[in-house]
Amino acid sequence: MTEPLDKPFTDPAGPGGFPGLDSLEAEIAAAGRRRPSAWHLFLAPTAAIMAFPFVWMLVTSVSTLAETRRFPPQLPHAIQWHNFVDAWTMAPFDRWLLNTTVVAIASVAGNLVFCSLAGYALARLRFIGSNVAFLVILATLMVPFQVVMIPTLLIVRSMGLIDSLGALIVPNLVTPFGIFLLRQFFKTLPVEIEEAARIDGASRVGTLVKVVLPQMKAPLATVAIMTLLWAWNDFLWPLIVIQSPDQMTLPLGLSTFQGAHFTNWPVLMAGTLMSQLPMLVVFVVAQRWFVQSLSVSSGIKG
Amino acid sequence: MSRQRFSAFGAVSLLTVAFVLATVLASGCGGSSTSTTSSPAAAASLPAPGGGGSVVLWHGYTDVERTATDAFVAKYNATNPGFTMKAVFAGNNDYALQKLLTALAAGKAPDISYQYGSSMANLATSPKVVDLGPLMSRSPGFDWNDFFPAERLATTVNGKVIGVPALVDNLALVYNKALFDKAGIPYPTKDWTWTDFRDAAKKLTDPATKQFGWAYVNDGSEDTVWRFLAVLWQAGGDLLNTDNTKAALDSPAGLKAMQLLYDMAVTDKSVYLDKGDGNYLNLFNSGKIAMLWTGPWDLSSINQDVQYGVEILPADVSHATIAGPDNYVVLDNGPQQVANAWAFIQWFCSPDIHLQYAIATGHLPIRKSETKLPAYQEFLAKYPADEVFVANLDNVTKVRPNVATYPKISSALGQAVQSVLLGRAQPQQALDAASRQIDAILAAGQ
Amino acid sequence: MQVADQAAALPARRASAWERLLASDHLAGWGFTSPAMILIAVFGVAPIAWSVVLSFQRNNLLSGGTWIGFRNYERLMHDPVFAHSVRITVLYTVLFVPISIVLSLAVAVALNRKLWFIRLYRTAIFLPVVASTVAEAILFNWLLDPYFGIVNVALVKLGLPAQSFFQDPSQALFCIVAMTVWGWLGFCVIIYLAALQGIPRELIEAAEIDGATHWRSFQRVQLPLLGPTTLFLVIYLSINALQLFDEIYVTTWGGPLGATTVVVYYLYEQAFQFFEAGYATAIAYVLFLGILALTVVQLLLGRRFVHYRS
Repeated sequence: MTEPLDKPFTDPAGPGGFPGLDSLEAEIAAAGRRRPSAWHLFLAPTAAIMAFPFVWMLVTSVSTLAETRRFPPQLPHAIQWHNFVDAWTMAPFDRWLLNTTVVAIASVAGNLVFCSLAGYALARLRFIGSNVAFLVILATLMVPFQVVMIPTLLIVRSMGLIDSLGALIVPNLVTPFGIFLLRQFFKTLPVEIEEAARIDGASRVGTLVKVVLPQMKAPLATVAIMTLLWAWNDFLWPLIVIQSPDQMTLPLGLSTFQGAHFTNWPVLMAGTLMSQLPMLVVFVVAQRWFVQSLSVSSGIKG
Repeated sequence: MSRQRFSAFGAVSLLTVAFVLATVLASGCGGSSTSTTSSPAAAASLPAPGGGGSVVLWHGYTDVERTATDAFVAKYNATNPGFTMKAVFAGNNDYALQKLLTALAAGKAPDISYQYGSSMANLATSPKVVDLGPLMSRSPGFDWNDFFPAERLATTVNGKVIGVPALVDNLALVYNKALFDKAGIPYPTKDWTWTDFRDAAKKLTDPATKQFGWAYVNDGSEDTVWRFLAVLWQAGGDLLNTDNTKAALDSPAGLKAMQLLYDMAVTDKSVYLDKGDGNYLNLFNSGKIAMLWTGPWDLSSINQDVQYGVEILPADVSHATIAGPDNYVVLDNGPQQVANAWAFIQWFCSPDIHLQYAIATGHLPIRKSETKLPAYQEFLAKYPADEVFVANLDNVTKVRPNVATYPKISSALGQAVQSVLLGRAQPQQALDAASRQIDAILAAGQ
Repeated sequence: MQVADQAAALPARRASAWERLLASDHLAGWGFTSPAMILIAVFGVAPIAWSVVLSFQRNNLLSGGTWIGFRNYERLMHDPVFAHSVRITVLYTVLFVPISIVLSLAVAVALNRKLWFIRLYRTAIFLPVVASTVAEAILFNWLLDPYFGIVNVALVKLGLPAQSFFQDPSQALFCIVAMTVWGWLGFCVIIYLAALQGIPRELIEAAEIDGATHWRSFQRVQLPLLGPTTLFLVIYLSINALQLFDEIYVTTWGGPLGATTVVVYYLYEQAFQFFEAGYATAIAYVLFLGILALTVVQLLLGRRFVHYRS
C-alpha cells in the first residue's frame, strides 16, 4: 500500500507542522529545531532521581575512608583519585575484568543466536509441542535460584566445569527472557514480507537472517544489553561455583573489599564504578538502535 | 486432533526425561553418606602430614586481616614444604554457611572453613565434619584447656569438638569521651550498674540535635538476639533450662531484661535503633551516638578524630557479657588432607604464632597463655583498647545453647526483642510469646 | 520466477511423506529451538525436577535426607508464617506490577522524542539498572532513615509528621515497592522504547491528520500496538515480583516483625538458616505452581485481548 509522498507532514514531536513542505525538507527542518518542551519538567526530575545513587557512588569513590564513615554523608574535602588506582592495584582487577568480559561476550553471543532461533520458531512456525515448549521455557523462570543452585552445581560438576569460566558461560547461553521477549517482538512484525521471501525461495534461516532480523534492531539490542548486564553483574552463582581467585569475575572480586564487619567503601565504590563503565558505554552506543528511524519503517511498496 | 495427541506426547516425554535425570542426580548426591566416613575411629589412623598436595582454607577476611592471613600462610609454606597451604577468600562471612552447605552437597568442599559459632550445632550433624577431640588428645602440645572456656563450650556439641577458634571477641561498652565531657557526666566505670547506664543514656540524648545515648541493632537477627542475651545474663537469667528442653526465659530476670530495653527505647527514647546496616558506627563517628555495645571488630572503623573509651558492660546481678567465637571447621576429604589440615591448625593456633597474628590484626588472643608471653606487651601497646576486651573474657560465663534448633529459637527471640524495642509489645507479652514459640520449637525437635 | 517456471514445466508430483516431513514446520521448529531447549532442559528443567525430589524429604543438606512423603506439604498448609508470606508477596506484586507498567510507559513515551538532552535523560534513567543492589539499598536506607534521612527532613519542613519507613511494619513493604519500582524502571523503559520504535510513523500521522488529539491517537494507535510488549512485561514482572528476594536481603531481612517476609525470603531462611532444605523446596514448588497458574491465566487473557499485527 503506497502513501503519496506529498501529503502534509506532521511532526508528532510537537504541535503544529509544516503544511505544504516536502517531507524530506520537513525532516531536516525539524531536526534542527528542537523546541523547548514541557516534557523537560517531567523528565528532568525523574532523571535526577534515577541518577542519584550513581552520584552517591561517585562521591563516595573520591572520599577518604574516614569521610565515608560519617552520617549524614557529606561531600569530600578533596578528590581522592587514588581510590581508583587502589581498586586496580590492591587486587587482580585486570584478571577479574578479563574473566568477566569473556563470560559476558560469550553469553551475549549465545543468547543473540539461540534466542533468535527459538523465539522466531515459537512466533512463526507451527510445530508439534510448541506450546508446551514455550510453557516449559517460561516455567524455568518460576523457581528461585536458591532452590536450583545446588542441583545446577551438581550438573556443572559432572560436566567437569566447576571452578572455571565454562561454568559461568554454559548455563547462561540461553535465557528464557531472551526467547520470550524476541517471540513477542517477532509477532509484531507483519508476516507478509516473510511470506514473500519464502515464496521467492529463501530458506527459513535465510528469511530470518536477511529479512526479519534487520527489522529487529531495537529488541535485539535490548536482549544484548540485558544479557550483558546480567552476565556482568551476576554474584550468587559465581560465588557458589568459583573457588579459585584467578577465575573470579568482577562482582565476586569486588566483594573482597566488603567484609562482614569492615568495608572499604571508597575503594569498593571506585571499583564498582570502573566495572560498570563498559556497560554504560555499550548502552550509550546502543542508543542509535533506539532512535526512531527517519525512513518509513515498514509496509510494502509497490 | 493428532496435533493434540502429539503435544501431550511431547509433554510426557519431556517430563520423563527430566524425572530420569532427576532420579539419577538425586541418588548420586547429598543423600548418601557412603563416601569416606570421618568417625573418630578413622582419625586414629591418620598418616603423617605431607604428601605434596594442597590444603584449602576458606575465609572471609578482608583488608588487614587478609594481608596478615596470606603472610602467615606464606610463612608456613616456606617452613613446611610437605604440602601447600592455600587460603582462599570465599566471600563475606555472611555467605560462608551457604557456600559451605552448597559445596558439601555438591561434593567439593574445602578442607578448612571459617564459620560462625551459631552454625556449630547443625554442622556437627554432618559426617563430613571432623571431630577434632581425638586429634587433640593425641597431640599433647596442643593443650585444649589453654583456650578460654567460652570457646571450648561453643565448639563442643554432644561431646564432639568440631571447631577450633578462629576469632574470639565479646561485647563491651564503647563510649565517646567528648560527648560525656560536654554533658558533664563522669566516664563509665567497671562498677557501673544498669541505673547508671540508663541515666547516662538519658542525659546524653538530645532530640534537638538528634543525639542518642545508646544504639541497638534492631534487625531481628542474631545481632539483635545476642545483645539481649548479654542483658539477660546480667540479670541472672537463662535462655533455656539446663537440659535444653524448655525455655527459661519467662522468669523475673527475663522480665527485668526486657523491661530495661523497653524503658530505654520506648520510655526514655534514648536508643538509636539501627537497621542492621552498621549505620550506628557512622553516627558514632559523627558524634551522634554516645555509647555502643560492640566488639573489637568495630574499633578499626572509628575515625581518628573521635576520642573513645572502652569499659566492661554495666551490671544488674553481674557484668556478664557474651562472646561470639567464630571457628575453623575441618572437613573430611580423606585422611591425608585431614592430617595436613590439622598440622596447619596446630601451628596457626599455637601461642607464639597466634600472638603474632593478633599483633598484626588486632584480634584478641585465643589462649590464656598468650597473655603471659613477653610479646603481649607489644600487643597491648598497639591496641590499648583491647586490654579491656581481653579482661572482659572473664565475664563470659555462659554461652548460647548449642542445640540444632538454635537458629529458629534465635529468630523467635529476635522478633520478640524487636517488638519491644519498637514499642509494639509490652515486655511480659513479648516474653510470653517468645517462650511459647521456643517451647514449640524445642518440642518439634530437629 | 525460476521455481514457478520449473514447477510449471514438470508434471505435478506429490512429495513423499519423508520429503514433507523434512520441509515441514515441525522439523524446522524443533531444529530452531533445539539448542535452546537442550540447554534449558539441562540447566533449567533438570534442577527443578531434582528439587521436587528434595521436597519429599527432611534434609538439612549435611547428614542426608529422610523420606517423609507429603508431610512437608501438609505442614505448609497449616503454617501461619507461610500464609502470611503469601499475603505479603501477593500484596507486593499487585502494587509493583501495575505501577511499574504505567510509570515506565509514561517515561518511555516521554523519552521517545527529539528533545534537548534526550540522550542524557535516557542514560540517567537506565543508571539504576547498572548500579549495584548494594548501592541501591544504601541509598534508600539513607533517604528513608527515620532520624536523619532527607525525606523526613523534607516532610517535617512541610509540616508533616516524620515517618518510620523501614522501621515501621506498616510502611516497610511500601518502601520496598518504591525501591523496586525505581530499580526496574530502566529495564521496562528500554523495552517500551524498543517497542515504540516498531510503530510506523505513518499510522500515527494518519490518525493525527484525521484530527485526533495526541492522547486520542495514542489510545487508538500506539496503545494497542504496544499490547504484545505490555503482555510480556506483565508476565515477566509478575514472575519476578512473586520471587522478590534480593532487595529484602539487603535492607529489611524480612522485618520489621515479618512485615516484608516474602515467600522466597521465608524459603531462604528455612534452607540456609534453619537447615530445613526439604521444607524450603516444598515452599518453592508451591510457589512455582502458583506462578505457573498465574502465567497461564495471563497468557490466555493475552490471547483474547492482545492484538498482533500479523
